[in-house]
Amino acid sequence: MSDAAETEGQDETLTETLQLERIEENLFRGTTPDSRPGRIFGGQVIAQSLLAAYETIETRVCHSLHCYFIRPGDPTVPIVFEVDRSRDGGSFTTRRVIAIQHGKQIFNLAASFKDPEKGFEHQTSMPAGPHWSELPDQMEMIREAMKNAPEEAKRWLSRPQPIEMRSQDARTYWKSGPKEPVAQNWFRCATPIGDDPHMHQVILAYASDMNLLSTGMRPHGIHWQTPNFQSASLDHAMWFHRPTDFNQWHLYVHDSPSASDGRGLIRGAIYAEDGVLVASVAQEGLMRMRT
Amino acid sequence: MTANRENGGQTLIETLGLERLEVNLFRGTTPDAEQRQRIYGGQVIAQSLLAAYETVEDRVCHSLHCYFIRPGDPSIPIVFEVDRSRDGGSFTTRRVIAVQHGQQIFNLAASFQTDEQGYEHQSDMPDAPAPDEVEGDAEARKRIAEMIPPEDEDWIDRHQPIEMKTVGGRFDEVAPKPGERVQQVWFRATDPIGGDPRLHQVVMAYASDMSLLGTSIRPHGVSWRTPGFQAASLDHAMWFHRPTDFNQWHLYQQESPSAAGGRGFNLGYIYRASDGALVASCAQEGLMRLRKPKS
Repeated sequence: MSDAAETEGQDETLTETLQLERIEENLFRGTTPDSRPGRIFGGQVIAQSLLAAYETIETRVCHSLHCYFIRPGDPTVPIVFEVDRSRDGGSFTTRRVIAIQHGKQIFNLAASFKDPEKGFEHQTSMPAGPHWSELPDQMEMIREAMKNAPEEAKRWLSRPQPIEMRSQDARTYWKSGPKEPVAQNWFRCATPIGDDPHMHQVILAYASDMNLLSTGMRPHGIHWQTPNFQSASLDHAMWFHRPTDFNQWHLYVHDSPSASDGRGLIRGAIYAEDGVLVASVAQEGLMRMRT
Repeated sequence: MTANRENGGQTLIETLGLERLEVNLFRGTTPDAEQRQRIYGGQVIAQSLLAAYETVEDRVCHSLHCYFIRPGDPSIPIVFEVDRSRDGGSFTTRRVIAVQHGQQIFNLAASFQTDEQGYEHQSDMPDAPAPDEVEGDAEARKRIAEMIPPEDEDWIDRHQPIEMKTVGGRFDEVAPKPGERVQQVWFRATDPIGGDPRLHQVVMAYASDMSLLGTSIRPHGVSWRTPGFQAASLDHAMWFHRPTDFNQWHLYQQESPSAAGGRGFNLGYIYRASDGALVASCAQEGLMRLRKPKS
């Protein structure tokens, strides 16, 4: 069983593993590719909820989504997604989705969709930093991280990696000591996404939940394996500014404007390699030391 | 002063007040029904947050996310329906929909938590001239009164529950010139909010929908008075970092990272003037399109 599950995760593309089964017009069911006990990766639930919303929409394109993580997801049972068709308007379509397990809401999402149009244009410039080709490749990074990583982290790092990530401080991540609350990661989807532009958004949403919270921890000399440290995504918001091909490299720029009251806020901007700003992200996460 | 107040001398807090219809069902009204064609978005955010608070014991809101779905009708009440998504060990989650004419006009999701101590960091408050060195938007409006169409005259001296002062002068909406995609506004509540810290959040949420969308419009030399120009808030997100007294001056630091596809994206940071504390962050996307004249 566990062997089969692992093979499944590696053979299928991310596009395939995220797919949903339609149970009723507004009701869908998805599964977790890696069904070993633990938690469900938040980005998976974001991606599947966005897919569920897309299943109820004809041709419009998502321009924003807002979600809350309410309860930890259980990877051993399917997730049911229930879509509320809030509005089908003249230019905008609005949807709300709740993700349910064991009879309880584990997650909610609201999203808005519209037809593409031309208009006013401006954007921030992509900040300077090392190019992805100058950074260690991911397998090298994982091999290095594995050397010093705690056992739980080793288990995590050995999972299939549908998102390829290159980080500026891959070599120093596990070292302690306060750092600035800013970070840059290059990332892209390692398996082919296909031609559907909606799917590129779905997978970008999946990937946008990765590494984000760690930027809020940087000034405090902690990371997600620090003993007794508890961290979890609380919410997630994303704005899709321009279409993109997420099989190509993108720069994910993070900064954390605030931490207080056991929570950190992190802001993200996603640039294509040519400097086009394709999406913005905001996430608040729990970051507390258990006493 | 009181004669000028909306709704026969009520404070903002009083006009936002809700009537409880059922355990999870509330009804609110729009204060100055005769003066507006649409409901101001910040009002619906504030009332939805109040509705959620009516179902939460002892916990404080730390974030909210909302969508404006349909224009609100100021001539009839708004019904707010609360979904008690979760009452957990340390967090409470609520969803609210605002309904008029049998249709959702707005949705909000919000999260509440008990106070705790922990890691602290924040971005520094940017430099800005002090509030008493900046002309108030109300004065600036009076100065351009002769350029305003007569049907808009009440806009000049309407009671403003939020006092605002735009650094560098209020954006000239009559003859807009392209400006920077950043903006600084001093603001505070005019009427006394009282001692309940939750109400300070509610009023700050009300105020946070003001001027933010304008930041993404500034670089493009248009305004809401430009013929064929259409602007509307699409969503709104807000994170409450630290408690504050919103009867005191706060700096609303705004920037627009992007405009594309008929939409402008804006980020806002609210700093307390007295000590520079970052009390809240906001994000909002708005519609901004210029409709071509029909040929």
